[in-house]
Amino acid sequence: MRRAPYSAVVVILLSTGCMHDRKPETQPPPSTKTPSTTTPSTSKAKPSAPTTAKTVPPATTKPQAAAPSKASPANPTLDLESLEARLKQTKAIGLMTKLSLKNQVDDLLDEFRRHHAGKPTPTVAELRRSYDLLMMKVLSLLQDHDQTLASDIVSSRERIWGLLADPKKFAAITA
Amino acid sequence: MTKRLAHSLLVMACLATPAFAQQDEKALKKDLTAVIALQGKSCGEVVSVAVLKQNDYAATCKDGNKYHVYENDKGRVVVDKQ
Repeated sequence: MRRAPYSAVVVILLSTGCMHDRKPETQPPPSTKTPSTTTPSTSKAKPSAPTTAKTVPPATTKPQAAAPSKASPANPTLDLESLEARLKQTKAIGLMTKLSLKNQVDDLLDEFRRHHAGKPTPTVAELRRSYDLLMMKVLSLLQDHDQTLASDIVSSRERIWGLLADPKKFAAITA
Repeated sequence: MTKRLAHSLLVMACLATPAFAQQDEKALKKDLTAVIALQGKSCGEVVSVAVLKQNDYAATCKDGNKYHVYENDKGRVVVDKQ
């Protein structure tokens, strides 16, 4: 009978712990693969963000603001892998929103595929419009809570467009 | 002594649980608000959410619209007006 309160405590503490289930998903620092990009000077500077955050895991006092602000280099262009990793990990966007954004990114990639396959539509102008719109959606979701990632994406915007619009580069990244 | 400790823990847990629940619900409402907006549907802000199952929600918006927001078997997020 005396055990009852203890059991209650354990049950409640466990259930409290379970409520964090959704959060750690976005919390751990980026574990980006070393960006094997063609631009050596910029790609070297980039991974400093994830690695610094990773090497200091017990940074419980300043979770996000401190590490990324230090990490943003002078020319923070992103490769697609690290962009994807950082978008997955950011806490600024909820799980369902991330899924929804991923759907829209996949749709856009399908449109690029159609375009590069020689279909008359979508045209480059239409693709650019869709691309800009999607970027705006992402940025509007990020800008208040993960400004570093938002500004890095802004910096990489043209570079990513370059990858998508060039048929050879597109084939390489989607292979 | 242990009885007191258990009691304190129980009280703390009881106080903490609703706070976490509130935070989670707030985050979920914000998440669904963003999802509905991303799909170009009218909502304004999600004011209440019922969790139907994992990644499956019934959301009520400030403007009175109700949506079924869920992930289908193809991994797509679907927003259906109710």
